[in-house]
Amino acid sequence: MCVGLSAKVVSLKDGMAIVDASGAKRSISAQLLTDLNPGDYVMVHAGTAIAKITDNDTDETDSLLEEL
Amino acid sequence: MAEDLKKEDGLAKARRILQNYDGPKVRIMEVCGTHTHEIFRQGVRRVLSPQIEMISGPGCPVCVTAVTFIDEAISLALDHGCTITTFGDLVRVPGTKKSLQIARGEGANVKVVYTPLDAVAYAKDHPQEEVVFLAVGFETTTPSECLAVEKAMEEGLTNFSLLTANKTMPAAYEAMKDATDLYLYPGHVHAIIGNKICEDMLQEGVSGVVGGFTGKEILTALAVGVTEFQKGKPFFKNCYPRVVTGEGSPQAMELVDKMMEPCDQEWRGIGLLKNSGMQLRGEYAAYDARKKFDLSGIIGKPNPACRCGQVLQGAIKPHECPCFGTACTPEHPVGACMVSSEGACSAWYLYGDLANKPLNK
Repeated sequence: MCVGLSAKVVSLKDGMAIVDASGAKRSISAQLLTDLNPGDYVMVHAGTAIAKITDNDTDETDSLLEEL
Repeated sequence: MAEDLKKEDGLAKARRILQNYDGPKVRIMEVCGTHTHEIFRQGVRRVLSPQIEMISGPGCPVCVTAVTFIDEAISLALDHGCTITTFGDLVRVPGTKKSLQIARGEGANVKVVYTPLDAVAYAKDHPQEEVVFLAVGFETTTPSECLAVEKAMEEGLTNFSLLTANKTMPAAYEAMKDATDLYLYPGHVHAIIGNKICEDMLQEGVSGVVGGFTGKEILTALAVGVTEFQKGKPFFKNCYPRVVTGEGSPQAMELVDKMMEPCDQEWRGIGLLKNSGMQLRGEYAAYDARKKFDLSGIIGKPNPACRCGQVLQGAIKPHECPCFGTACTPEHPVGACMVSSEGACSAWYLYGDLANKPLNK
């Protein structure tokens, strides 16, 4: 139950969003994020988008590792 | 192609750092169940130097759900005729005498849902039933449960309530800080609560890195962690900034603060931790199953053979429990750590030998 999934926002309506998680579409609550648009990536937890994902993981980890 | 090579280089560097680490012995506690499972599943332990020890902490919400809570849920179902709605992995967690799964066989109406909002929808469609959602989880899950109560209020439902056992991760950090040299903080929790608590822990001399959940994100966070640890000074580094910001999610925290208040909470295997839980505030009493139904006098008794508490505190490895793999298996769990796929015992049972066998360098 603790697993967070990343998903792409397909559409938004009335505080809910349809998201695409690796091909599976699901309706989730988008009430906790105010600035969402279709095409954004979000972290979904227990049926609610809890955070917007702002960059790609490869860029992030590579830049952290470059500092070592 | 060039990007692929760059990606491999980064991964290879993190792996090289972790394989060749020859600094002081370091105990790293991953507090979150998702990290526990992914670290096993992706074979992260296999690439670690013998100087690095991973400890699975108490961050799997199912694993730390108290026996009393399961007994209360069973009483709601069998004595009060409530319909129990729940995340699936709670169904098999043992109570004092039985699990919700066994209670089902005695007539309990137990529905597994994906989200608390599905439980509200079920309550709306079944006005003749008293629907209770089992609200467990940490900061990542609690906002969804508050949204469910808000939705039930909007819909004017009077047949929906929460049985709360919500917990807060900082309480676990405080309770476990002597068992670890370095925390691998869970990225999704800090997406909600921000990094201030990590900075506060740093002031107490407790080091940590916030990490994401892919193999590369975990390896990167661990590589950053051991490199900093070797320098000998307490540190904190956010290795998941694309999701975790300093302030976290103000909307989520405001929502939870509006509807819930801190309370003492019992953690399975660990005991009562002061101010480690969240319960609905008094003005939401109509949605609090514990207040709506008389559950007083229910005190669960844990199975004395189960050593989940010591596993959760990093005092023993799962295979050192006498029940492990014999009396206690994923098919017939004695302890909660064997039930949830995020639990340390379950992960150890599924991946243990393979995951811990070192790779040939």
